[in-house]
Amino acid sequence: MSVEARATRAPFAYHHELLLLIVLVLVVGFLAVGTDKFLTVDNMLNQGRLMTEVALVALPMTFIIITGGIDLSVGSIMGLAAIMLGVAWKNFGLPLELAIVFSVAVGAVAGFFNGLLIIRVRVPPLIMTLATLALYRGLAEGISQARSVRGYPEWFFVLGQGEVFGVPTQLWILLVAIIIFWIVLAKTTFGRSLYAIGYNEEAARFSGIPVDRIKLIIYSLSGTMAGLAGYIFVSRVSTTRSDMGTGLELDAIAAVVLGGTSIFGGVGTIAGTVIGFTLIQLLKNGLALSGVKGDATIVVIGTVLILSILVSNFLQRRRGAGG
Amino acid sequence: MKRLAIIIATTTALTGAALAADPWDGGDDLPTNPLACDDTPGTVAAKDYDGGQTTGAADKSGKEITLIDIPKLVGVGYFAATTEGMRQAAEELGNVKVTTDGPTEANIDDQITFIDNYVTQGVDGVLFAANDPVAIAPVLKKALGKGIHVVGYDANSDPDAREWFVNQAEFNGIAKSLIDQMAAEIGDEGKFAIVTSTFTTPNQARWIAEMQAYQESCHPKMEWLETVEAQEDNILSFNQANTLINKYGDDLDGIFGMTSVATPAAAEAVTQAGACGETAVVGLATPNAMRPYVESGCVKSVVLWSPVDLGYAAVYVMRAVVDGDLSPGDTEVEAGRLGKLQVVNGSEILLGSPFVFDKSNVNDFDF
Amino acid sequence: MATAAFSTSAGYRDLRRMVLGQEMVLFIAIVLLFVVVGLINPRFVAERNISSIFLGNAYIAVAAIGMSMVIISGNIDISVGSLIGVLATIAGTLALNGVPIIICWLAPLVIGIAITSGMGAIVAYLHIPSIVVTLGMLSILKGGLISVTGGAWLTNLPPEFFLSQTRLFGIPTPIYFMVGLTIAAAFWMRLSATGRAIYAVGGNVEAARLSGIDPAATVVKAFAIHGFFVGIAAVLFATQLSVIQSTVPPNLELTIITASVVGGVSILGGTGTVIGSTLAAVLIAAIASSMIFVNISPFWMRAVQGILILVTVLADLWRRQRQRMGT
Repeated sequence: MSVEARATRAPFAYHHELLLLIVLVLVVGFLAVGTDKFLTVDNMLNQGRLMTEVALVALPMTFIIITGGIDLSVGSIMGLAAIMLGVAWKNFGLPLELAIVFSVAVGAVAGFFNGLLIIRVRVPPLIMTLATLALYRGLAEGISQARSVRGYPEWFFVLGQGEVFGVPTQLWILLVAIIIFWIVLAKTTFGRSLYAIGYNEEAARFSGIPVDRIKLIIYSLSGTMAGLAGYIFVSRVSTTRSDMGTGLELDAIAAVVLGGTSIFGGVGTIAGTVIGFTLIQLLKNGLALSGVKGDATIVVIGTVLILSILVSNFLQRRRGAGG
Repeated sequence: MKRLAIIIATTTALTGAALAADPWDGGDDLPTNPLACDDTPGTVAAKDYDGGQTTGAADKSGKEITLIDIPKLVGVGYFAATTEGMRQAAEELGNVKVTTDGPTEANIDDQITFIDNYVTQGVDGVLFAANDPVAIAPVLKKALGKGIHVVGYDANSDPDAREWFVNQAEFNGIAKSLIDQMAAEIGDEGKFAIVTSTFTTPNQARWIAEMQAYQESCHPKMEWLETVEAQEDNILSFNQANTLINKYGDDLDGIFGMTSVATPAAAEAVTQAGACGETAVVGLATPNAMRPYVESGCVKSVVLWSPVDLGYAAVYVMRAVVDGDLSPGDTEVEAGRLGKLQVVNGSEILLGSPFVFDKSNVNDFDF
Repeated sequence: MATAAFSTSAGYRDLRRMVLGQEMVLFIAIVLLFVVVGLINPRFVAERNISSIFLGNAYIAVAAIGMSMVIISGNIDISVGSLIGVLATIAGTLALNGVPIIICWLAPLVIGIAITSGMGAIVAYLHIPSIVVTLGMLSILKGGLISVTGGAWLTNLPPEFFLSQTRLFGIPTPIYFMVGLTIAAAFWMRLSATGRAIYAVGGNVEAARLSGIDPAATVVKAFAIHGFFVGIAAVLFATQLSVIQSTVPPNLELTIITASVVGGVSILGGTGTVIGSTLAAVLIAAIASSMIFVNISPFWMRAVQGILILVTVLADLWRRQRQRMGT
């Protein structure tokens, strides 16, 4: 089943990524001609720093969407993890190192809870994560009592604001994460199972794939990455707030679907997602540097999102019903 | 079905019981400094300059400069008004170009990205209204480090992350105006509630803390019922105000609106409940949004500084910094039609006292 | 989730039975909430407060009707909050320019239908997933609105513009809209050919096609009708206060989608009813209001809201599982 799924779907993914890559190159070229501030090493590295949180969340989101699921609670998990980092350090008196581990673990538990109810009670992922979107944000607000935790020691900021070998620290983490996610999806049985589940869940179950266990893993993974993104964000901005990560879920989903992952499951690649979030970030940045204002920029991004999928679909002339 | 009923009932009861305690006002933890109950001006302790400094800024004294203004968010009336003030100042000065750009939601991450982009683009100065005083600091320091002048207005950052901050009115001054206004309308033993934006919005939390301190010392018999959150959403503000009216009935003598969205919505709720004259509405708001309620007499008066003047002053201050007319240690700065503005609190420039508009002058303003 | 494909008659009976149960769960939850909170604070169940809860959220319930149809057809509309903001601003701007009031009220409907039909056509005929189209449209509408208006307040609107502030027999007009439209939509969904086609397409496209339904046309119709409800919701929204803030209401799309899915509309399409979504909108609004009445710390409100939504969803799933075992 899984082999068949990949065989029929692979050409689509290939074409879409190629198309996106061409769009990306064109956009970069066009923007670079428009302003000499855009295509510089400094600016590119800096953009990498700014997009790391969304990118880290978009990677596991790709896995989840490939299985036909979705996770809307990632922004709230990021906020909850950020708050727990501060609270664990200031109020529980944990050493900061442990508080960091604790906050990422909170993210993992939050994701695990999503996964558990999705597989055990069979709550549809959209409903489950819509409910926990409210719940986790609510917990962040309740626990923080609207107070921010500040005053971290210098070493804490190395991850969010520092550099290693001239490259923003968090970009190294992102790079490692991209490689791992890419290998897992493209080269392992686990990755193939994700496609099989998304293509036809019942068939996947019958062919012996541990569907429930895999789902539990990917939702936990999504929570963990959101927790990690929370830690990186706190390190970048030096403070915690319960409203951190608001709207993150839509940014991540936009990157994933722009990257060619089908919202119906069964189709998608990490390369597509990587091009997706890079394209969005560089468009935002390049347009701003060319003097386009923010409100016009989001109009452009909305249009690019629709058009790129439109053109991609047109090129491969897929037949199918609406929806 | 029975099990279901039990689940829901116990959840409701448990959460209700567990969380019912802990009455809460909405202020922050910072020390308060309430003004005297009469009109004695507050004593301001002299403080050394505590702002930051640019490194390697080009001398553009008298030359044309390009400024970028990043408010908390774009697409709301209040910041449209500050933008208008900036435009006026730029037009008067003739050698300033200022553009406003920013996030469509009051989001700290987006605001940082916007500033970062303009620092890369290379402007002569950044004007900002911070969504979070600490989170915005690193990117502002980066701007200072690249020789870009940084002046805040409306919502401050950590002092060392910017050179100057144009303060629309001291927190304790706003608090005194609001509480005195409310006391005048509902009496010294009146009961009131508050509709604010979110508990994490720094300005609102600061005002509420100062209001509480001032009320306790100057109007000790007034009763503080509760504070509710309503984002920056006018129907939600309307619903929350309605809920307060329904909950307290005749016990509710007044509602404070802490934002330019909450105040008109609270006035609307009072109007539609037919409670004009029984429940007073006092708050911060812009004249355009309040006009129907002030004209109908449902709202007696509204407290505000002029956001147009605030934006106007911010551009003048920036020009003075670039021209070398405002340096650490100075005590005042020339700001066009506003005359000389005082430097307070180390590195803040005070726009003036908040003013109160009512039926007689609400039509003199358009913002 | 078992995507049971409802092939006409037998499935239709199943659907009705299941749906009645779903609505019952929400109805009981609402009654329980009013009883429990009413015991703690009798003012909660005063006629005035109940009226406030309905009035302040009628536009959400109306928008959720359209959203439910879109979801039942197997799609989703994330742009709905931005669309309501845009349509409300259009209505207000027309009224300020002296356009006859009836046109100010009808224009949002017409424009709403045009925009959502356009999105539906892209989804149905160009085969782009609705989440992509509407996510893109969200950005376009929001950015466009801010570019054009800058968020200025619209005031000095003519008094006869304020539809939502009128009352009929002492009951606020929006409540009639909410109840009337819900009932009409429920009948229409069950009895009309298009309504049944929407269920069929959402349940199983191939089966629908085999039984002679044109899936693409049906999806466009579902979106068009959604636009009609969004237009009405926008008018109710725009006329509720004496001033209009020409901006996009924060998180409105999430509130509306939540009402639909808590109301029992399966996101996989094919099942659910508009009565459920309206009851869910009322329940969510009543939960928010009740928490102020029982003095829950405002910091914990959203957490409690999340828990209650989750409990409602779980209770419904538990009921359905038990039903499946029983039959």
